[in-house]
Amino acid sequence: MSMIGRVDLAIVKRFPGFTLDVAWTADEGVVVLFGPSGSGKSLTLRCLAGLERPDQGRIVVNGRTFFDAATGVDLPPQQRRIGYVFQGYALFPHLTVGENIAFGLRSRPRAEQRRRAAEVMERLELGGLENRAPRELSGGQQQRVALGRALAVDPDLLLLDEPLSALDAPLRRQLRDDLERTLRDWRIPAVLVTHDLSEAYQLADRVIVYDHGRVIQASSKTEFLWQPSSERVARLIDMRNLLAGTVVKAAPDRIQLRWRGQLLEAVNSPARAYLPAPGSPIAFFIRPEYVRLIRKDRMAPDDHHHMNVMRGRVVGEADQGATWSLRIRLDEPGAPVQDGYDLEVEVPSLVYEILDIKTDRFWEFSIHRGSIHVLPS
Amino acid sequence: MNAETLTALRLSIQVAVLATALNALVGIPLAYLLAKRRFWGRTALDLVVTLPLVLPPTVTGYYLIVLLGRRGWLGAPLYELTGWTVAFTWYAAVIASTVMALPLLVRTARAAIESVDSDLERAAFTLGRPEWRTALEVTLPLARNGILAGLVLAFARALGEFGATLMLAGNIPGKTATVPLAIYSAVQTGESHQAAVLVLALTVLSCIVLVAAGRLGTRSA
Repeated sequence: MSMIGRVDLAIVKRFPGFTLDVAWTADEGVVVLFGPSGSGKSLTLRCLAGLERPDQGRIVVNGRTFFDAATGVDLPPQQRRIGYVFQGYALFPHLTVGENIAFGLRSRPRAEQRRRAAEVMERLELGGLENRAPRELSGGQQQRVALGRALAVDPDLLLLDEPLSALDAPLRRQLRDDLERTLRDWRIPAVLVTHDLSEAYQLADRVIVYDHGRVIQASSKTEFLWQPSSERVARLIDMRNLLAGTVVKAAPDRIQLRWRGQLLEAVNSPARAYLPAPGSPIAFFIRPEYVRLIRKDRMAPDDHHHMNVMRGRVVGEADQGATWSLRIRLDEPGAPVQDGYDLEVEVPSLVYEILDIKTDRFWEFSIHRGSIHVLPS
Repeated sequence: MNAETLTALRLSIQVAVLATALNALVGIPLAYLLAKRRFWGRTALDLVVTLPLVLPPTVTGYYLIVLLGRRGWLGAPLYELTGWTVAFTWYAAVIASTVMALPLLVRTARAAIESVDSDLERAAFTLGRPEWRTALEVTLPLARNGILAGLVLAFARALGEFGATLMLAGNIPGKTATVPLAIYSAVQTGESHQAAVLVLALTVLSCIVLVAAGRLGTRSA
């Protein structure tokens, strides 16, 4: 089994009121299709599996042409050698766990079927469950049976459609870890669909961002999170403190911008050579956990340690467990730019308690220029 | 119970069992086809199969005579070839009951087949199963209770079929007179005791069938 599964896909599929028109390639181990519901991610997966036929285009996996509208090639799902983990797992309810896992092995000799099924169950820690019915299993076990059933046939590519969406939060986190481990252990190239950011980030090597049936960004996962290619991507990944300012001066390494009466300095990305004209609007985001609270019990802030300093008042807060989210309204005339506040700031709970933020509401903040991310529009 | 009553009962059960078997043979593939495939003439086929459910049975019987009678579209060539006609034989009762019962099975089985999670079928495809094996190994086993309930309903319908049978098979005592027809004759000729016995027999039989269907229904739920 090769670690590298090259997927080369360019397809169009039209429905009344919706058109899927996407093209992407990937060499990485785990490719995540990320985007809101109804953006065409699952449809792409079904086209990859041969369960849905595109109107136009081409799908090539590992050098094998699955589909090519130009030459009329359209391999049926039975011949594509892909493993598919369905949303909700789609385990056969009338078969035992063992029969589910061996379902794809039917063409092999009986002894070989048994050997392979046992091996898969052993590796996925399902030993002893072979005679159980799927409904008797926990969510985690069901996920492993679904994975085992797909992996037993040694597929060239594993497709996973929202594998964790049916679960509630604590279990979800646990199964995400399990899934990550399985994908790494089996060294299998995979395409995974999700609309959950943390899931995408944890499992992906490469992220393809979908929106309204189109790809709006395709990048490595670090780039995905830290350099969203557009304001739309930033919104999709639920970026907090997504703000709108005005360009004062743009150079290849720095951008100065004005926002809520503040003159802010941000790092520009020389690679992208983004040089908007002064006076033009600019979108940027600041991660709440990268806003620094200036402690009053320390020395006065100096320019070297603190840049982009601003002053404001806590107008709302939420306990998030390990951290507190503070809603800050700047000491500036004019209406706040977010829903009643200007900036969201995240502080560790310990800091919240030590500094007694509950009663002390007025603070100064600073933001390193590297923590202000400008978004080319 | 006299001999005539017993003959009618035996004939009724024989006709209903055979009609149910024919229903299974024709109705289950038909239900699968209507549930899964989009083909030319699908709506028309659905309509033809379902019509006996809403038409008066005599109208269905009339169509069957037009089709299978000695001078019918299929009946005439058959008669010329073999000198035999299905009309007024007990086979005619089987055919009439089959056609009348078919919509009950097809509709019930189709709903059961459609309610099987199609991801299960897709999973079987990706695991290498062609469609016909997927139908036999996944779809039909999972639709089993619905299909069985449909067969029970078809059996009950065949057992009670009157109008279409009368049209195509006639009411010949000992030959085509099933229980419902025998009841009609008994009432017409004033043999009220025999009518009562037959009515009771059919009622008991129908109750057994309905209870069986109810059991299947709750198990599938």
